[in-house]
Parts: sequence; structure tokens; C-alpha cells
Amino acid sequence: MDAITSSDLVALFAAWRETFAEQRDFLIALDGKVGDSDLGITMAKAFAAAAEAVAAAAVGTPIGKILITAGVAMAKAAPSSMGTLTATGFMRGGKALEGDSAMGVREVAVFWRAYGSGIAERGKAKVGDKTILDVIDPVATTLEGAAETRDTLRAALSAAASVAEQALENTKNMVAQHGKAAAFQEKSVGHQDAGATVGMLMIRAMRDFAAAPSSADGLLAADETAPAAGDSTASVFGSIDRSPVLAISTRVPSSSGVR
Amino acid sequence: MKKFLNEAVDFVDEMLDGIYLAHPQLTFVNDDKRCMVVVQRKSGKVGIATGGGSGHLPLFLGYVGKGMLDGAAVGGVFQSPSAEQMNKVTKAIDQGAGVLYIYGNYSGDLINFDMAAELSDLDGIAVKQVVGNDDVASSVVGEERKRRGVAGIFFVFKAAGAAAAEGLSLDEVTRVADKARARTRTMGVALSSCVVPEIGRATFSIGEDEMEIGMGIHGEPGISRKALAKADKVVDEMMDRIFAEQSLGQGDEVAVLVNGLGGTAKEELYILFRRVSQLLTERGATAKHVWVGEYATSMEMAGASISILHLDEELDRLIAAPADTPFFSHCKV
Repeated sequence: MDAITSSDLVALFAAWRETFAEQRDFLIALDGKVGDSDLGITMAKAFAAAAEAVAAAAVGTPIGKILITAGVAMAKAAPSSMGTLTATGFMRGGKALEGDSAMGVREVAVFWRAYGSGIAERGKAKVGDKTILDVIDPVATTLEGAAETRDTLRAALSAAASVAEQALENTKNMVAQHGKAAAFQEKSVGHQDAGATVGMLMIRAMRDFAAAPSSADGLLAADETAPAAGDSTASVFGSIDRSPVLAISTRVPSSSGVR
Repeated sequence: MKKFLNEAVDFVDEMLDGIYLAHPQLTFVNDDKRCMVVVQRKSGKVGIATGGGSGHLPLFLGYVGKGMLDGAAVGGVFQSPSAEQMNKVTKAIDQGAGVLYIYGNYSGDLINFDMAAELSDLDGIAVKQVVGNDDVASSVVGEERKRRGVAGIFFVFKAAGAAAAEGLSLDEVTRVADKARARTRTMGVALSSCVVPEIGRATFSIGEDEMEIGMGIHGEPGISRKALAKADKVVDEMMDRIFAEQSLGQGDEVAVLVNGLGGTAKEELYILFRRVSQLLTERGATAKHVWVGEYATSMEMAGASISILHLDEELDRLIAAPADTPFFSHCKV
């Protein structure tokens, strides 16, 4: 896949919905260590609502509008702070891509940069505060670099996903500054941040989605450019590493013939 | 826990049932009792909305009515309402002149109100926001943006509500609200803990003979905990911090709010006001408007806060203007 079109985007939201339905209980357990355990429920609800809303959008709806539609649906379906911040990311990402017809490496970079800036502004958070930003910021930087060097979308997202996994691992050493986790301060050290885990899962699902074989890409195998899930940080993610890469790739071709 | 309850989980919704039954001038939108609006809305008037967690009555719902607010969304006890709920209230109260949000500086409220403003913008409604941060104890001078919003938001509601009733534009109502916010300071002291119904035990423990200066209205830690002193000494310590930030001198006029946190007798509040009045007089300042009672509570927490609004001519007029809500009425004399 060289670029994500609006019909691909609808399929990507279906993949994200699947990811967060599968990771629901894992996120509940993770968030329960220093939060109030509702993150898994919030994310499953948010992505289910977003997938439904974008699937209902008219064929040919511009990508920016699709992303905004997803964000609005999330804001309404998942009213917790993290649900609202995730919604904010999609709405700001969509605004940044107004007028674009597909997401190549440059547009994906623009999307994640705007996503991170929106969350930083609304959540009054910055890099290093042990939040989702600690994954999104390095991902955006990696993608911006890939856009400079004209990498393929697959290679760029593959690199971004590896960076996301390492960035998530790095949150273990940080002290929570926001949300209920902040009340635990030093006790939050040693745990990967639950919000940052959401960010990593989103990027990884996006990588797997772009790596899936599609008619436009010829015969390249899905996992030719994607590293094995987890690899060096395999022990960190527990049940995340069992995320169904194959299940996602089998869903993709149905939409990619549309362009 | 010793409360009048049926089931703890029904605490907020049964409280709301009671309010709607008692006060037919209020209704709700979106089939959601937590989205309160006034029944009678005036065409062309700027709408004013607030919201926040339940557990603070008469804050927030209590100020929905004539000369004050047009709508409020509330969440569970000490929990923010959702952006969706605020957006529904916004749509209901917009009369073509836009809507001003006035709420306290708490992260959940900030995130959700800000999103509600964005959703409302997509609906074509102009929204402005003023975020109350009157609690002197919650951060130092220079870091006022980190301060919590507490009882002093009452003055912001009052001034903005009167300005909107006068027919001022959204920009003007926002300017007035922001001025009232900037000129208000509050200090609080807690004597006992609140109990969140669904938790069922005290949020924090404090000795029989102790007080905590600067505690927040959800039980957030204050500046210092020490032996409970004589009332005048407590007021002196609270007012020292307020006077340090408000240059009040000969001829200055203020509005005073001595607010009970839920578990303190009104008699005690008047004992506190007595000393506040003496201190103002010593400086040559006048308490032009005075309210003593419960205006922003923290469930059954014992304790009190003192809020001072440094008036100017415009704020004096707006604070004096009439208002009539289920929990607050003020007649012009």
C-alpha cells in the first residue's frame, strides 16, 4: 500500500476497532495498576463508535472529514478524559489533512504530529509526562524523517512502529504527571503508561494494515517489511504480543480495490 | 458513612429527580437529567453554561435561573460531565448570541469543556470560556493558572449572568466574567472529610483537634495541617494570604462570600464574617455586598472558605443586579 485512501481509512478504523476489542481486558488490567481501570472500556467503545460512524460516511468523503467524523463519534461515545483526548487527536489530525485525498508518508506524518499537538494542548501535557505523547511524538518525528528521505509507506510505518514499541518501554522509567496515575507519582515508575500503550497499539495496527497485501501493491508479502511483533521488547507487552496481525491483513483486500 | 440514601449508585440521579420536582422552572435536554437548562430562554441573549462534578450544591445546578446561568451539566460525585452533555446544553441554550462556559480549573473539566466548545463550533455556535482559579492555596503567585476554582466562581456567575441579562454581547459578557475572575481570591480551611457515597468512607482522615488550611473542595491537600486555632486567628491567617494578593486600602469596596463547606453551622460562618469585617475596616475597605451561607460545598465536609471580590464600578452594578434561581435570589433595593 503506497497511500491510505478514504476507503482504506474506513477499513483501518475497522482494524483499530478489532485491536481495541481484543486488547480491552489487557488495558483494563494495565490501567488498574495506577488508574481507575476504565481505559480498556473507553477505548473499545471509542473505536467501535468511530468505525461505525466512518463506515456510514458517504463513499468518497475526503480523508480529513472522515477523521473528524471519527473523532466526533469518539467524543460522544467515550466521555472519559482519555476518550476525549483520543477524539481530539483524530479531530485535529483530520483538520490538518483537509483538502488531501490520500495519506502517503507525508500526510501520515502530518496526521500524527497534529494528533500529538491536539492532545498536548487540550490535556496540558508535554513529552516526558508519561502519557500517550511519549509514543506519538517520536512516531511523528520518525515519520517526518521518512517523508524527507522518501521512504515507502510500509517502511515508514514499520520504522514508526518499532520506535513506538521502544518509546512505550521508555515510559516505564517516567513518573506520571497527569490523571489518576499522577496521584501514585513514584509508584507509577516501573509500569508502562496505559495511554502510551494505546498509542503504540494504534501505530502497530496501522503498520500491519499498510503492510497487508493489496491489489495496488502487487505481490509483496505482508510481513516482508514488518518486523516480528514485539521482538526485542517481547516480554514487555504480555498479551499485546498475541495481537492478530494475520486477522487484520485478511480483512484488508476487500477495500483496497476501490481506488 | 451516615447519609440519607436509597442506593449509593442512585445518589446523583435521585437528587436530580428531587430538584426537578421541586423547581418546575428547570428542565433537561437530551433525555438526560444531568443536562439542566432553564425552561424560559430569552431570544438574542448570550447563554451562560457551567458544569462539573456533583457533590457541591448549590454549585453548579443551583445557579441556573434568571440573572445567572442558562444551563449546567453535571457528572457523578466529583466527576466531570462529558463533552457530549455540555454540547447538548450548549445547543439548547444558544439563542443566536453564543454561549459562555464558566467552570473551575480541574483537568477533567478542562478537557471536556474544551471539547464541548469544539463540538459546538462544528454546530456553528460561538463559545467562549472563562476558567475559575480563585483558590489562593493551590499554587503560588505567578502560577495562578495552576490554581483550582472554588467558591469564588459564584461571583463570576453573578457578574456574567447580570451582564448577559443586560443584553451585552458574548465578547462583553466574557470580558466581564474574566474581570470578576481575575479580581476574586479565595482561601479555605477544612475541619473534617467529605465522604463520596459510592466509596462510603472518608476521603482523608484528620484529627478531632486539627484543621487543614487550603484544602481543596474534593479533599485535595492544602498548605498546612495544624491544631485548630481560635476563629479569629484562623480568619487572620486566611485573610493574610488574600490581602497579600489584593491591594485593598482606604475607599476600596469588596464583595464578601463566607461559604460553608457542608458540615459547618451558619452561626460559625457569621463568627468568621465578624472577623473578616473587622480586618476590612482596619484597612479602610468596605464590604459592599455580603453573603454568608452555603454556596459551594464538598458533601458533608466541615469547614469554610472566604472569597473576596475587589469591586469596581461595573462589577458593583452587576453584583447588585437582581437574580432568581432555585438556590439563590437577590433583589435590588
